[in-house]
Amino acid sequence: MLRHRSKLMGQINGFLMFLPYLILLVMFAVVPIILAASVSIETSLTNPSGGFGNYLFVLQDFRFLPAVINVSLFLLIYLPTMLIVVAGLSLLLDTIKARHSVPLRLAYLVPAGITGSVAILVWYFMLEPTYSPFAPLFAEFGLTQGTDIFNSGNLIYIFALMTFFTGAGNWIVIQYGSLQSIPDDLLEAAKLDGANAWQVAIRIKLPLIRKYLIYMLVLVMAAGLQIFVEPYLISSSVYPGLAKDWSLNQLSYTLAFLGSNLGAATALSLMLLVVMVILALLVIFRTDFFDEAKEKIKES
Amino acid sequence: MNRKLLSSLAIASALTLGACAGGGTSDAGGSSDSGESAGPRTLLVWVDTVREPACKSYQESVAADIAVTCEVVGQEEILPKILLSNQAGQGWPDVVFSPPNSVSIYAEAGNGYALNLDEYVDSAIIDAYNTSNDWCLIDGSYYCLKNDLAQTVLWYDTVIFDELGLTVPTTMEEFADTAMMLEGTDYVAGAIGDQGFYAGYLWPSGCPVADVQDATTVRINPDAPECTRVFELMQPLVDAGVVDSRSAFDAGFITEVAQQQKVAMNIGPSWWGEFVIRPADSWAIPEGRMAAAEMPKWDGESTAWSGEWGGGIWVVSSHAENLQDAADAGVYLATDPDMREDKVTFPGYQPAFEKWAARLGVDTYYASDPTVAMVAQASRIRQDNNPVRYDMRGQIGVLQTEINSGATLEDSTRTFMQTLIELAPSVGYTVID
Repeated sequence: MLRHRSKLMGQINGFLMFLPYLILLVMFAVVPIILAASVSIETSLTNPSGGFGNYLFVLQDFRFLPAVINVSLFLLIYLPTMLIVVAGLSLLLDTIKARHSVPLRLAYLVPAGITGSVAILVWYFMLEPTYSPFAPLFAEFGLTQGTDIFNSGNLIYIFALMTFFTGAGNWIVIQYGSLQSIPDDLLEAAKLDGANAWQVAIRIKLPLIRKYLIYMLVLVMAAGLQIFVEPYLISSSVYPGLAKDWSLNQLSYTLAFLGSNLGAATALSLMLLVVMVILALLVIFRTDFFDEAKEKIKES
Repeated sequence: MNRKLLSSLAIASALTLGACAGGGTSDAGGSSDSGESAGPRTLLVWVDTVREPACKSYQESVAADIAVTCEVVGQEEILPKILLSNQAGQGWPDVVFSPPNSVSIYAEAGNGYALNLDEYVDSAIIDAYNTSNDWCLIDGSYYCLKNDLAQTVLWYDTVIFDELGLTVPTTMEEFADTAMMLEGTDYVAGAIGDQGFYAGYLWPSGCPVADVQDATTVRINPDAPECTRVFELMQPLVDAGVVDSRSAFDAGFITEVAQQQKVAMNIGPSWWGEFVIRPADSWAIPEGRMAAAEMPKWDGESTAWSGEWGGGIWVVSSHAENLQDAADAGVYLATDPDMREDKVTFPGYQPAFEKWAARLGVDTYYASDPTVAMVAQASRIRQDNNPVRYDMRGQIGVLQTEINSGATLEDSTRTFMQTLIELAPSVGYTVID
């Protein structure tokens, strides 16, 4: 009886703690999604008979496939770079933690402080041969004009560079934090068994922070899939039209706010949402990220 | 200790990121509640930074009767914000300074933002515009007032022309011949890797890029002879290096060509003189060199047509609480001569441009009075490129990107026009050849 009561109290407490989040979730996620879903199937110029015409319209739009290809190629470059560099640098930071880690952590974080529009301006000046301090280096490779660098073929690399530098620093510090959770005795035991720093990093530390890295990968992928600011600003300021409708989110924006077609825009956004939900479900059910929590729940 | 620092760093970074993210988004609704207030008369005006002084001046002049709020809103954001207001059913500005193409969207029944000005603006005002306000004429009614005209003229450097013994071309064939004489001299006949190629060549030639026949029909045809003759005439000039395929605003072009006084001539809009050619941080051409001539004529045309690059408009909201107040504000902002006298753009309203021309005409910066050519071209803006409901401004960026990347003018134009052919049906147009 007593046990039953405490279980009930636990459930009530749990619900109360979840409530503020639930309210926000309903207000800013569930309601907009329902609204979007209803707008996407309303009748409109491009969806005269209602229903799922807007979804088909988006899939057949001439800008859709190029945007899918752009974002996919961007992710192919951006994700592995993030994973390898973040894991590598946080392990390095952890290894030399005694002496230099504070200034180093700061150094990693500083580029992350320059985000959005400012980062784009900074990178524009870094990459534009007329202004860049690296202009002599570019000239060695025959890159003397702005359009030698800012052209459609290079956009994927430029955006990967921008997003990497604005995002990597934060994640390095976070993964450094996750490395702190490894018990010292474990590392000591490894050392006693004769493991050198490299082996400790690769064989002990890396497997232990694997799930945090996977978690990072999913969040970074969600952000990358929704890339918007970088291409939008480049093509609305310095190089008009260069990266117009380059990403899926840009296309959604264009459809809604330049094409007066909210239905198609919501259809595209919902399709992106489906992809994102699938990714989230994969993390929950296909990785061991939540295993510990599940076990604890089972125990209770 | 380390952990403390880590957490404080984490918090600091989160705050930084949060602040940046917060700064990036803007309040889409604005602060307009003009549609509902029952108290004193109010007006909300959206302007860009250049037009803000005009709004402030109006604010002062009517302060006793109407509380005018001037909000600076980026030109790129205006259409999105008005579409959002339409969705929300509130938040519209009463008067807005807008990019020219948007009027066709605002005037369309499904959008309904633009007020039909016929009943609210004195016909004498429209008459004084002469033909300059025809851009705003949709289905027989005026839906906007032109702020300025961005008619193209032929800008040329008199010093270079004298040095090489060149004469100012009056036909496009002469233009090409003159340009070819620059081969090997380091001088160029301008940059075309931007909207200038559309406004200065395709449009004056009559290439049907946005040739609106009626509310549901538009003619877009890259195979029209008015398009192909542009490729045929201009491509050899690009190939010979006498026309630069970069943008006139390209940092490299500015420092390597324009600022070295290597631009012998360049077809460009009327606002280039004060905004592009003269400023020290732009082309920085010294005093006494530049002049403007009338546009060269295309073969077989009876008129030396211009295109337009820019030329903003004032749109009055059909949702304004007091429509006449809003329309009066629109008229003042679009036409007041004192407000336009010292601006870089050529006023669309004739009484205003007379005052403007009187100032610029005696400016010793120019080798000769540039306003003569501008006035001549003001009534020659070719009428078969019109405001359309598809995103013309954005797609012109496609044209620029293609030309900058080294694609031929023909391929670039075809790619650009193909995107228009794809877009037009989605906003209710049937495309014809």
